[in-house]
Amino acid sequence: LSNAAGLERWLGEDVTLAEVGRAVARLRADSAVEGMRTSVMTHIAWVPEPWLDKAHAALAGMGERHPSRTIVLVPDSDAGTNRIDATASLERYAIPGVEQNICTEVVELRLLGTRAKAPASIVEPLLISDLPVFLRWRGEPPWGTPELEQLVDLTDRLIVDSTEWDDVPYPYRHLVQLFERTAVSDIAWARTSRWRMLLASLWPGIADVRTIRVRGTAAQAQLLAGWLRSRLERDDIALEHVEAERLEAVELDGESAAFPPGDPPLPSDVLSDELDRFIRDRVYEDAVRATIV
Amino acid sequence: LSENPLEEGLSLRRTPDPCALVIFGASGDLTHKKLMPALYALMVRRLLPPRFAIVGVARTEADDDAFRNDMKEAVQQHARDDFRDDVWEELAANMRYVATDFADEGGENKLEQLVDELDKENNLGGNRVYYLAVPPVAFATIVDVLGKRRSNAKGWTRLIVEKPFGHDLASARDLNAMLEEHFTEDQIFRIDHYLGKETVQNMLALRFANGIFEPIWNRQFVDHVQITVAESIGIEGRAGYYESAGAIRDIFQNHLLQLLALTAMEPPIDFTADSVRNEKVKVLRALHTPGPKSVVRGQYGRGYIEGVEVPAYREEEGVAPDSMTETYVAAKLFVDNWRWADTPFYVRMGKRLARRETTIAIQFKRAPHPPFEETSAEGLRPNVLIVHVQPDEGVSLAIGAKVPGQGLQIRTVHMDFLYGGAFRTGMPEAYERLILDTLLGDGTLFTRADEVQEQWLLVDSIVAAWQRDRPGFPNYAAGTWGPPSADDLLHRDGRSWRRH
Repeated sequence: LSNAAGLERWLGEDVTLAEVGRAVARLRADSAVEGMRTSVMTHIAWVPEPWLDKAHAALAGMGERHPSRTIVLVPDSDAGTNRIDATASLERYAIPGVEQNICTEVVELRLLGTRAKAPASIVEPLLISDLPVFLRWRGEPPWGTPELEQLVDLTDRLIVDSTEWDDVPYPYRHLVQLFERTAVSDIAWARTSRWRMLLASLWPGIADVRTIRVRGTAAQAQLLAGWLRSRLERDDIALEHVEAERLEAVELDGESAAFPPGDPPLPSDVLSDELDRFIRDRVYEDAVRATIV
Repeated sequence: LSENPLEEGLSLRRTPDPCALVIFGASGDLTHKKLMPALYALMVRRLLPPRFAIVGVARTEADDDAFRNDMKEAVQQHARDDFRDDVWEELAANMRYVATDFADEGGENKLEQLVDELDKENNLGGNRVYYLAVPPVAFATIVDVLGKRRSNAKGWTRLIVEKPFGHDLASARDLNAMLEEHFTEDQIFRIDHYLGKETVQNMLALRFANGIFEPIWNRQFVDHVQITVAESIGIEGRAGYYESAGAIRDIFQNHLLQLLALTAMEPPIDFTADSVRNEKVKVLRALHTPGPKSVVRGQYGRGYIEGVEVPAYREEEGVAPDSMTETYVAAKLFVDNWRWADTPFYVRMGKRLARRETTIAIQFKRAPHPPFEETSAEGLRPNVLIVHVQPDEGVSLAIGAKVPGQGLQIRTVHMDFLYGGAFRTGMPEAYERLILDTLLGDGTLFTRADEVQEQWLLVDSIVAAWQRDRPGFPNYAAGTWGPPSADDLLHRDGRSWRRH
């Protein structure tokens, strides 16, 4: 995949959404001769300031894999002023073998002060009609707050990474409340998929497993245990967790499972895969429910 | 608990069974340029079976190491992925070579011994894929030997047969009969590599996954269809083959008729091999034999390609100076069924045309009564849906739009969907898909015996009419869009070939 070349960038302080819309349209019109616009979704990212660098890294190149309008919302309720600052830019990617480029749009909005309280009203005017809306929420969502509730209602798929949360499995109680409202993806869950395939291959030998011991993040440990409990329809499977930054080992009743083949995928690959899914993941939902024993 | 509950929701990809792939014609161009790069691409994506062996067979004397080096170079030169030593080592680990000629007595014993050895070492379960990348004259001996040996073998056996599949209906029938003597239809995979192309398969997605096209995909709304398979290259040193084949056997008999069948077929009830092929063969059966006036043939003379003067066909090495082989065919075809009656399918294909392009264009009827002044819609052309098979893979739709400003001026504009723009995963080469499908035993994208025979039946009837006259060749200059008589073919109907 080639690297993006920024065409032009527009910056505005204390802007209206109409100004943002006009700026994006102007950038696009200026680049019409250089590239075509293709979109498969609107991709919203809710990124509190501490997550911003990580978010930028994961988003780099995402527009190339999933041509979309990306709207990055950076909330700062404590800014001491109430306004929206914006940058809008186009990223251009060469299409291999064809003398054409595609352009994707990235709009970053800093929601200062009270302007962070009603994000749906800010995002709605910028959505691309008729295409699915994906919402990537960095960190633990503020359960029950208006900003989360509003954005969930306009989203087709919410993507979280429960490894970013403290005290799992407790926050999962809140997450299950969203399952009937939007499809949910969890990067922590996606990162267990190679291990789940491996454990599935041990069936039926593991039908009576009593204890699963996981060296990895707390979220991965909880989700793997929840997965076994829900799939095997047994709530008596105990979890032992050893903290590690990534999923490194799984033991079932004291026996180590072999390390799955291949390298673990990059963060941008995992996010990219989740952006290709459109339906509810019932197996994940069952696993999350089963973490709360 | 009988079914594995842990598998639910996991995206388990179908992995082919362990097997040995035996390539006859391993020293040939196809193996170097297409097969080995495709196998490498499948290895990169971990789509090959976990236990897999490749055996190259050819007459050239060489050993395993020389063969591996040769194949390594081929991959480095032609693969679409970056070369990685670790991937190559894995692929080459079970790669062997046999120098043999099946015409020699006992030639096949060497091969069988080696494959059995590999099978035992790697536990391949007796599964074999034989790839016949050899000229048709060599088919019979190989198929005969393989067939006789097969009867006492365990595991499954599949046979991939490259084009050309016969030279006419009689030879195709003989070939089919010979194959069927030893193999069943579900073991035979006749390659038409066009069917492995993403954009050709997208024709099925476009038609049957969208509710808006199929209701108007018929004689009520479609004025006519144009299919173009144009090449700017010449015969590239293949005079021996091309002199006896010509454009009608090289392109029309296989690729072009397959494109037409996919465009005109009824929706299959599912995507199994037989459902899809049943529908395609119905189209081929419904094709009306065109009269002599509905077929135009041509042969290129000197001309210019990309500013460089190129020789006439008759001046190419190995071509007879008075050759009557056609390098261009255009035809008006009719599919005589309920959906398409009286809707012409104009097809054209040729070498040394103005540019390389394969497209299928569905031209719809004009709006019945445009309520605009005549002058305001002067620039308006009928709606055309164009499937770009290659290059610029994608779909475009020509629609009328108002030119901004005072008054009402209408112009034709194109909406483009470019494959590479929306999906950024890289397009697999046709051979990757076709080899993988064979390993999985899925024959959907291969041609069945009855399809091939229907295709030859049509070709034979066209060629029979050609015996009666001698056109003045050459009749088009290299680098143009074919002979003027091809334009007349459409002008007579008040139509013209799509402008480019």
